[in-house]
Amino acid sequence: MGILDIQNLSISYDGSSILSEFDLSVSKGEKILIKGRSGIGKSTIFRLIMGFGVRSSGEISLDGVPVDAENIWNLRKRVAYVSQDTDIAEGKVTDLIEEIFSFKANRAAYEREGLQRIISDLSLSPGILNKEYTKLSGGEKQRICLMLALLSGKDFFLLDEVTAELDVGLKQKVVGMFFDNPQWTVLSISHDREWAEKATKVIDLSGKVN
Amino acid sequence: MESYDVSVEGMLFSFLLLLIPVLISYYLGLNLISPTIESAFRMVIQLLFVGVFLTFVFDLNNALLNIAWVLLMIFVASHTVLKNAELKTGKLLPMLTLFMAVTNYAMLLYFNRFIINLNDLFDARYFIPIGGMVLGNSLRANIIGIENFCSEIQRNENRYLFRLSMGAEKTEALIPYLRKSMGVALKPTIANMATIGIVFIPGMMTGQILAGASPLVAIEYQITIMIAIYVATTVNVLLGVLVLVHRGFDEYGMFKKDLLRNV
Repeated sequence: MGILDIQNLSISYDGSSILSEFDLSVSKGEKILIKGRSGIGKSTIFRLIMGFGVRSSGEISLDGVPVDAENIWNLRKRVAYVSQDTDIAEGKVTDLIEEIFSFKANRAAYEREGLQRIISDLSLSPGILNKEYTKLSGGEKQRICLMLALLSGKDFFLLDEVTAELDVGLKQKVVGMFFDNPQWTVLSISHDREWAEKATKVIDLSGKVN
Repeated sequence: MESYDVSVEGMLFSFLLLLIPVLISYYLGLNLISPTIESAFRMVIQLLFVGVFLTFVFDLNNALLNIAWVLLMIFVASHTVLKNAELKTGKLLPMLTLFMAVTNYAMLLYFNRFIINLNDLFDARYFIPIGGMVLGNSLRANIIGIENFCSEIQRNENRYLFRLSMGAEKTEALIPYLRKSMGVALKPTIANMATIGIVFIPGMMTGQILAGASPLVAIEYQITIMIAIYVATTVNVLLGVLVLVHRGFDEYGMFKKDLLRNV
């Protein structure tokens, strides 16, 4: 049994099948890249793991616990999911951080020292905390989302195209941050070669098309 | 002070005024002639009915009947709120009616007992018209609040999902939406309070002055009723949104799109 087990997962959209009988078992510490052409269901798999959609059939479990209505609220606290849509807030970045770490599940995880370190690791300027989130560039927004995931203290990450708007140097840096920690389990969806170069396993969904 | 009733002749002169919007609509091709006539006709029939019924209710002045009449008003108000916010009434109406009933009865009893110091708290002359004013004025805010909450949660669903994925409970993730919809809903009432007496003379005050009351008595009532309206509106909007928070999401925390009328 892995950290994440997916069995016979099928996804349909508007009556047509996108993905059928998809299996995946992820062990602790694995660094997996999921790739495939657009619209093949990569992001939908992540959404289903988080309980954000309806699967046609199949089973998903995290740490052996089925992803269902009863368990989903606790399971979400276990996973750090960064979606490709970075439109997550209005107001100042610092207010967003305060809000996210005011949630009961995150209060214990938040460390101010950690925040300064991660800001520096992600090559963000300290002044970014007082900027309006909506006025940041796409790359800055991606790094703020990553910063929040890193600050959450979790060790299982679902990262959906999180380096698409970063330059090459930063892409390598971010990949290293997530893939170099042997304790962390990471599933990444990306078209960037930096992830493919360091992944322990690459899953190409194109072979699963109906 | 002397007060004048509107005579039949005066009523006819009033209807004569409707020729102005009818003619404007005719010459500009606004297609508003039949809606104008239909609405004016409905207004007359509804007010005739209410006038006759309230005369009967006031004469009888039975506490239970008064409570029941206000409950009917609350039920119709809740239905109107959901309908105007483009929501199906089925699953939301009972809870919204219950919440609005608790707020509005509590406000009415407080008003009658502590503000105007009535002996009979359910006196029809106060209980029904004040109930109507509070409900009527909070109606628009309630529609705006619920409509804003639903549209924001759909337009900015990703923000909500992001918070859930960061470990938020449903209520924690919905607080930004609650804040925004309450802010939008309450702004007009706050602006109303700030401009009252200068920009407009409210209907209640006008009515009292026309009925012969001194303007000073009229403003006393207007101040207290305005506060009651604002308080009841705040609580009504809050509870209206909380009904959606409670009933509008499935067990995974996803917004139930089938609650929307156009789905």
